Amino acid sequence: MKRTVPMMIAMIGGIIMMIQYFIPHQVSQDVFNYYTEWAPLVGSFALVLGVGSLTRVHIHKIRAKAPNWPYSYAVLIPLYLIPVFAFFLPASIGGGTGKPSVFDFMYSRVQIPIQATMFSMLAFYIASAAFRAFRAKSALATILLVTAIIVMLAQVPIGDLFGRWLPDTGLWILRFPNLAAKRAIELGVGFGMLATCLKIIFGVERGWLGGAGE
Amino acid sequence: MINWEKFLNIDRRWLYLLIAVVVIVPFFIRMGLPVVPSDEVRSIYNLVDSLGPDNAIFIGWDFDPGTEAENQPMGVAVLRHALDRHVPVFITAVSPLGQGLAEQGAASVFDTRIPGNFVYVPWAEWEPFRAAGYVGRDSLESAWKAAGNSLPEGARGWVFEGVDFALLGYLPYFGLVVLGMGTSIATQYPTDAYGNNLREMPMLRAHKNLREIDLAVTLAGSTACMYWVVYGTSRVGLPVAFGVTAVMATDYYPYIQSGQIVGMMGGLRGAAEYEVLEHEGGHTETTGKAYRGMDVQSLAHILIILFVILGNIAYFAGGFHKKTALKSGR
Amino acid sequence: MRNTTERRFMLKHLELLLLMVLLPFGIAQAQEVGPQDATAPAVDSSNPSDSSAVSLDTALEVVPPVEIAPPGAVTVSDFPNDAGDHLLVSFEPSPDEALGILVYRIYRRTPGATDGTEEWAVVKTVAAGDHTEIVDGYDPDYLVTQGTQYEYRVAAVTADCREIPGEVTVAQVVGRGEWFHTEKLKVLIGCIIFISLIFYYFKRAQMCHELYLRPIPGIDAIDEAIGRATEMGKPILYVPGLSGIEDVATIASLTILNRVAKKVAEYQTPLRVPNRDPIVYTVAEESVKQAYMEAGRPDSYEANSVFFVTDSQFAYVAAVNGLMTREKPATNFYLGMFWAESLLLAETGSLSGAIQIAGTDAITQLPFFITTCDYTLIGEELYAASAYLGREPKQVGSVKGQDACKGIVMTLVTVGIILSLVDIFTGGATDPSKSLLLKLQGLVDVTSLE
Repeated sequence: MKRTVPMMIAMIGGIIMMIQYFIPHQVSQDVFNYYTEWAPLVGSFALVLGVGSLTRVHIHKIRAKAPNWPYSYAVLIPLYLIPVFAFFLPASIGGGTGKPSVFDFMYSRVQIPIQATMFSMLAFYIASAAFRAFRAKSALATILLVTAIIVMLAQVPIGDLFGRWLPDTGLWILRFPNLAAKRAIELGVGFGMLATCLKIIFGVERGWLGGAGE
Repeated sequence: MINWEKFLNIDRRWLYLLIAVVVIVPFFIRMGLPVVPSDEVRSIYNLVDSLGPDNAIFIGWDFDPGTEAENQPMGVAVLRHALDRHVPVFITAVSPLGQGLAEQGAASVFDTRIPGNFVYVPWAEWEPFRAAGYVGRDSLESAWKAAGNSLPEGARGWVFEGVDFALLGYLPYFGLVVLGMGTSIATQYPTDAYGNNLREMPMLRAHKNLREIDLAVTLAGSTACMYWVVYGTSRVGLPVAFGVTAVMATDYYPYIQSGQIVGMMGGLRGAAEYEVLEHEGGHTETTGKAYRGMDVQSLAHILIILFVILGNIAYFAGGFHKKTALKSGR
Repeated sequence: MRNTTERRFMLKHLELLLLMVLLPFGIAQAQEVGPQDATAPAVDSSNPSDSSAVSLDTALEVVPPVEIAPPGAVTVSDFPNDAGDHLLVSFEPSPDEALGILVYRIYRRTPGATDGTEEWAVVKTVAAGDHTEIVDGYDPDYLVTQGTQYEYRVAAVTADCREIPGEVTVAQVVGRGEWFHTEKLKVLIGCIIFISLIFYYFKRAQMCHELYLRPIPGIDAIDEAIGRATEMGKPILYVPGLSGIEDVATIASLTILNRVAKKVAEYQTPLRVPNRDPIVYTVAEESVKQAYMEAGRPDSYEANSVFFVTDSQFAYVAAVNGLMTREKPATNFYLGMFWAESLLLAETGSLSGAIQIAGTDAITQLPFFITTCDYTLIGEELYAASAYLGREPKQVGSVKGQDACKGIVMTLVTVGIILSLVDIFTGGATDPSKSLLLKLQGLVDVTSLE
């Protein structure tokens, strides 16, 4: 039962959604709308489980005094305190989501800079990866390397100093060879998706069922 | 004699240091390298430039703070251009963080301390004029001026909330939101981000759903931009333009070739190209942050190319190509 | 005689001249009416607060209005391939359009409302000379209901804001929803062919035909990587991508996780599965739990091995990178959908000295994984991994089915390339009438429509 019901839901739902695509009639539209209304609801419930998981993991770390356990407080305190400030406390003591507020401060002065920093680390990592891993080991690797250098130069104004041919070649590479390779991979991916979806709908693939699958 | 093995296994922190130096120095020593706009950016600019007060566009702030450096200048540039052409702009966001960034982007355009910006008139502030029947842009501006309001020195014009600009903000499950806006914008966003009734806004009355929108520019650091194509372009024929990070740009050339998107700004360079076009078109006094960033990016790219070349020299000079070595430098 | 003719000519054209002079005022007025008044059935040009309207009224007092014929017949037809909520309305423009008609307003109401209970609603305003066919039903405030018969009326609005209404027409048809979208016929044919092929190979594989699968080093290395972690006594990190459960790559990743977890349970190696999506987290947790049970070691399962971190992209990266630097897993799996975080994760993993296996269908992230990971599953290899690991006949059949589908597409692409080349040499590339490629495309179109 635990296994059959979800599989039947997936099968019936999958077939209905597949057929629905070809039917413009109102009945079909209603089915689609009904489905799209359900999706956010399920997501909201799952978020509660997610927050529960996060809390459980960190409480466990604190109780067990696991390595670096004080950091768990840095997760749990803002996780519960910021919503309290944002939704329950009056603006006079820094509540609410307007400016100035604790929520706004945490957002604009903590979250944005931290996220921007994380992303900017890419520049350092790309440099390191380029030095260590980008080798002209074979003829194909050499072509790839030369192409990469042309495209990199074409993407910045300094490339224009070598003459218009460089940015034009860079753009040509992006517009044609890049496109050809991308389409080839995407075709394979598309058929892979099609096969995976069919496997799910017809019960061949059950990994997505979690514990009920096998 | 150079020890190539040692050279190849150099502490990565030295490489990081060099990148840091190259990124910081151009902020102090400006090179002002010329930026030549590409066709992909020019097509977006031309489309926005052909629009006027009877049209409307969406700008989707569909990115998080992580890609702010690349995406934010694009949003600011398109917003500035549209407002200068008096094209009404609706702003949406895929995530709550995106809404905050949109507010910051708009605030930078409405900061009248900086010349070349716009004066923002909030919805509540021009309520008496609305009550008196001034809802058309020209008559509203005339009446606004007649009431004794004047533009500060250096400002480019007024932006009336609800006529020229509306921040719709973030809604969860954004794909479904775009899908719903194909039928009605107001059913998805009964109010804007500040709680103002959207149905009362003149710009919404003239543009009730995405069929009546002339362009949606989505600025994204993820596949969120695809919501606009999947649910906007394919379902209601909404013209969509992308402003994506440089890494993602290669992903979306097929959409340009197939005509599914109008154009694309790829990374900081795309934003810089838009700024240059805008400046040449007389819509801004100077180019913006993206153009300044081009010097940094130029030098960083050159340095990375140098790393690749040096890495290869060491690899071959040290004879490592004859050995079986593990990847990742281990 | 000549004088009389000239006078008549001048009088006739004086009206036109005045109209031309007034036209800018009229346009300004029409624009000022703006969106708010667009739905009003009659034009109110007496807005005391608008100076341009006052000047126009004053001017109109001295200018006699020009006689303009109303718009002609209205034809209503059903909009194809819809839910019955759209109608195609076309009208004949006024023959005097050039005499100062600015816009046409298309009004609609339900019949039987002639007693005044329902007022006319403007469903669309179109500029004169623009187009005379509109789709009714797009305006969310005036939706078309399936099966309702409406009445239409088109009115011409002149530069001096007069409205010249045409005849009321009862719609010749009512909106009807269709049961098949004719423009999707080609998609349907393609789906039937490809789905049939995949089913054919499902069946063939079940009938014990030995099917060969090309070895993929990345998949073969999974066992070895788990073994390495066991030997070193360090945990295994499994990142199931950053996308949601609706992403097929995530589902493919979860099926691999199930198989990896079984092996991990057998070897009794610690497993860490951080999640970004709460739904993926619940599925992953159940999947791992079940794998431990199947391996006969339910007591080895750690309740906190699968956990939710955050739905924020870079905060998730920070958490996982932190885990890598603190716990130093011996093996890292990155399988699923990735964006900008791919290099941030894989480079940190590389620094920590882990053996890394990645797999994604995000093409732009593949270079980052290839340069920093030991093995990378490219695109569809991720979807095939589950079949490779399980070797169940149907799973293997699905991989062969995909290959057959690709074979068809490759054949079509090759034919297209050859025909394009022939077109270049025979002039078909520049002259569509000579193009073999276009002829073939036409043939395909005709066949599919039949």
